[in-house]
Amino acid sequence: MKKHAITLTVNGEERDLIVPSNRTLLDALRDDLGFTDTKYGCGTGECGACTVLVDGTTSINGCLTLAATMDGRSITTAAGLARDGDLHPVQQAFIDNDAIQCGFCTPGMVLKTISILDENPNPSEAEIRQGLEGSICRCTGYTKIVEAVQDASNRLSGLGE
Amino acid sequence: MGDLKVVGKRVERVDVRAKVTGGALYAADVQLAGMLYGKIIRCYDYAHARVTSLDLSDAAECKGVIKVLGPKDVTQREYNASVLDMMVSADMRGVLGDIDDQSIFTDHLKHYGDAIAAVIATSEAAAERAAEKIRVTYEELPVYLTAEASKQPDALQFRPEKPGNRAFELPEMAFPGNVYAWGEVEESFSEADFIVEDTFYVSKQKQCQMEPGSYIALYDDQQRLNCWTSTQMPKLVQKKLANLFELPMTRVRINATVIGGGFGARLGMVLEPETCALAMAVPGRPVKLLSPREEDWLTSPSRHPGKYWMKMGFKKDGTPVACDAKFENYKGAYYVDASGTAFTTGAWLGGMYKFDSLRYRGESYYTNQSICGAFRGYGNPQTNFVMEQLVDRGCTQLGIDPIEWRKKWHKTVGDDGWCMGVPYNSCALDECLDRAAEAIGWTEKRAKYQNQTGVKRRGIGVAVMNHTSGAMPMLLEHTVCDVLLHQDATATINLACSDMGQGSHTTLRQVAAEVLDFDYDDVHIATGNTDAAGFDIGAHASRTLYVGGGAVKQACEDVRRQLFDRAALELEEDAANLYMEDKIIHVKGASNKSISVQTLADQGVNNFMNPENGELIGQPGQIQGYASFFPPHNAPPFGATIAEVEVDMETGEVKVLELVNAHDVGKAIHPGVVEGQLDGGAQQGLGMALTEETYFDEKGICLNNSFTDYKMFGPSDMPKMTNILVENPDPTGPFGAKGVGEAGIVPPVGATANAIFNAIGVQILEAPITPEKILKALEEKANVS
Repeated sequence: MKKHAITLTVNGEERDLIVPSNRTLLDALRDDLGFTDTKYGCGTGECGACTVLVDGTTSINGCLTLAATMDGRSITTAAGLARDGDLHPVQQAFIDNDAIQCGFCTPGMVLKTISILDENPNPSEAEIRQGLEGSICRCTGYTKIVEAVQDASNRLSGLGE
Repeated sequence: MGDLKVVGKRVERVDVRAKVTGGALYAADVQLAGMLYGKIIRCYDYAHARVTSLDLSDAAECKGVIKVLGPKDVTQREYNASVLDMMVSADMRGVLGDIDDQSIFTDHLKHYGDAIAAVIATSEAAAERAAEKIRVTYEELPVYLTAEASKQPDALQFRPEKPGNRAFELPEMAFPGNVYAWGEVEESFSEADFIVEDTFYVSKQKQCQMEPGSYIALYDDQQRLNCWTSTQMPKLVQKKLANLFELPMTRVRINATVIGGGFGARLGMVLEPETCALAMAVPGRPVKLLSPREEDWLTSPSRHPGKYWMKMGFKKDGTPVACDAKFENYKGAYYVDASGTAFTTGAWLGGMYKFDSLRYRGESYYTNQSICGAFRGYGNPQTNFVMEQLVDRGCTQLGIDPIEWRKKWHKTVGDDGWCMGVPYNSCALDECLDRAAEAIGWTEKRAKYQNQTGVKRRGIGVAVMNHTSGAMPMLLEHTVCDVLLHQDATATINLACSDMGQGSHTTLRQVAAEVLDFDYDDVHIATGNTDAAGFDIGAHASRTLYVGGGAVKQACEDVRRQLFDRAALELEEDAANLYMEDKIIHVKGASNKSISVQTLADQGVNNFMNPENGELIGQPGQIQGYASFFPPHNAPPFGATIAEVEVDMETGEVKVLELVNAHDVGKAIHPGVVEGQLDGGAQQGLGMALTEETYFDEKGICLNNSFTDYKMFGPSDMPKMTNILVENPDPTGPFGAKGVGEAGIVPPVGATANAIFNAIGVQILEAPITPEKILKALEEKANVS
């Protein structure tokens, strides 16, 4: 299979790697670069556990994206959100609202939330729920995740505690 | 204990910082030097077949392949992936008839996706490429997907020791007449003014934990078998693997990784035997096995589906005189825990209402479906779907309010619980029902929804449940806990209890901090290493806080006792005359006489002699607390759910508008944790009631073993949720707590079904209640009238 020399900027650091055409971004991140914070949940784009951000705020499924198509792009994973030990406001909102149980969906949920709030800083509850479709959580019934997104929205727009 | 400082507080969970940054290591995230990759070759052509030839030679030649293993290349010992055999006495094991009927690989394939052989290679891709080169021929065998089919006299027999393909029935020796019963059922029915009766179907629901099965095994240079797995039961899996590979327990180590959801799917073993068998074949090299979602679906257990017949008799005033029931489950290809669910499904039935007489028969039949085993609720959601619908049918015929009937006839303190002879010692179900009814406006809505005529009709329904905190006295309940007091007066709690994500390590730490009178931050829960931790059954049966918490409490009390004994010597006072406050032990009524925990802890470790007089300064010896805890009871939690739905009479679609869950939790050690269990349980309960089922075609090929084709409730499907925590402390629970891990899934099942009944006036007998079934039932009703 054809191989591609690509450069990805992952969490602000430039990484060169060689990937076959069929290598998914998920596998490249996990297996080639060691970003195991990006999770495999289904491999078919249904669960969102592999969600990452491209060029800042656009969320994509790593399992449905070929790594070679991401050459030159900037990728953010959950491991890249904290700054100098301070969690991202969305991460803190997930903690403070008890929105984390088994945690397997959490990195993807947090990244999805960032993209939802980037597009719509003050979403209604229905808009939040709609935005979260495609990200499966089997632990929380989504209640506390929705609350966390609302809280994060307030924090990011300066209305939070 | 006075005012609680840590218990009852919404402290930050122990694991969330690692989880929110992605730093938490699940089994798939662990990478070891020299890692090899395994791939299991499975049959996806037939659900029942015999392998007539197997040629592994081409696969063995593939690039990157280290080894190819067929059925004869691994241990020939059979095993049972579940653990019930380790939870009962040897005598009871014989009585129950639990058997080992699983092999690492087999030439008699009994379900879609059964395992034939495996490849070990230097990469996952190489293993997958080689797996495609394996050549197999099959003899197709008849497929039995239901108990009704596999029990036929001419059916091919799955196991010689289980004639008629009946894997289990309640054994005569423990259950005379093969029934779980009290009273004289036939006689009681003769006193009934009317009877309700029907045969229901309960579905094959899948746990769908977010983390697909991932395993690593290494047979190391010290000839020890190491296994990294996110099992719910590290100590039992350690023993199971020791038995299977004929090793002493000292040579088997489980590294219990972070669990990405369990819900029963990771109870006992799943692919640990296969992974370890691969590792044993390449000593010194770690082998990683990553199940794709579709494989995990077929190899880990599901809920037990099956036909569930039930009959209830009532007097005109509503008195429940008799209940008779039979659950015949479609066990799947292997025994697993055929005995457990077949019994408990009836136990939850028996624990609920004050029938004069009750009789339950539970039977498990082999089928060519994928295996069934533990799933949150363990038979209780099935019983809820059936029992609660029949009760509401009875109430409708009686003209009695379903909440009033339940309040009058549910079992309570002093009545036998789910296990006869073990009476309930706390019950706040009436308060649960009252508060739930108040919160949702039951009376008004119940009246309002009578005689609707539009296309969209609303309904409101209730269901209740009893469950358990641990499985005593039926099963072994035991947790060992060590507490190590460090010289800086902080403590490490060492035990084997897994946290499935529900928050049990957080609540255990709260219990420890409260008992020790330490800050939450001064306590660490250390788990995950079976070399270090003493025995623990594992995370199941809503037991971790109740039993594990009991062990932590007792071990921490042991530390306190030792601290007080030492303080008594140092202060020359009777220990009974001392009290602790902010880590200082004081003499009652003498404010100037005190010694700090810090001093006692430090002197225990850094103990020196006074050079002037040759005497020891303080008491030597590091303080350790210990408990080997067997709980005195099973502190059953109770719960009620009221659901409100809207049904479209033209499309059959159901929208769940609101769910109010009121649960008698004893004491909420961490309210956020409890709410999370009720929220998440409800999502699964609604799925069982309305959307979740594993479908097979007539050949036994599974049609929806993926998130693409299996419908769970998503964020927009979930209704408005209200949780009411009723705190009525149980006398036996740590700080009064009861288990809440499973309770949340149960009553949403019956409440949703009853709300639909209330909306459309007809009951749907098969779960999940899909639009097709609703339309069919409405059509049948129209034809009758």
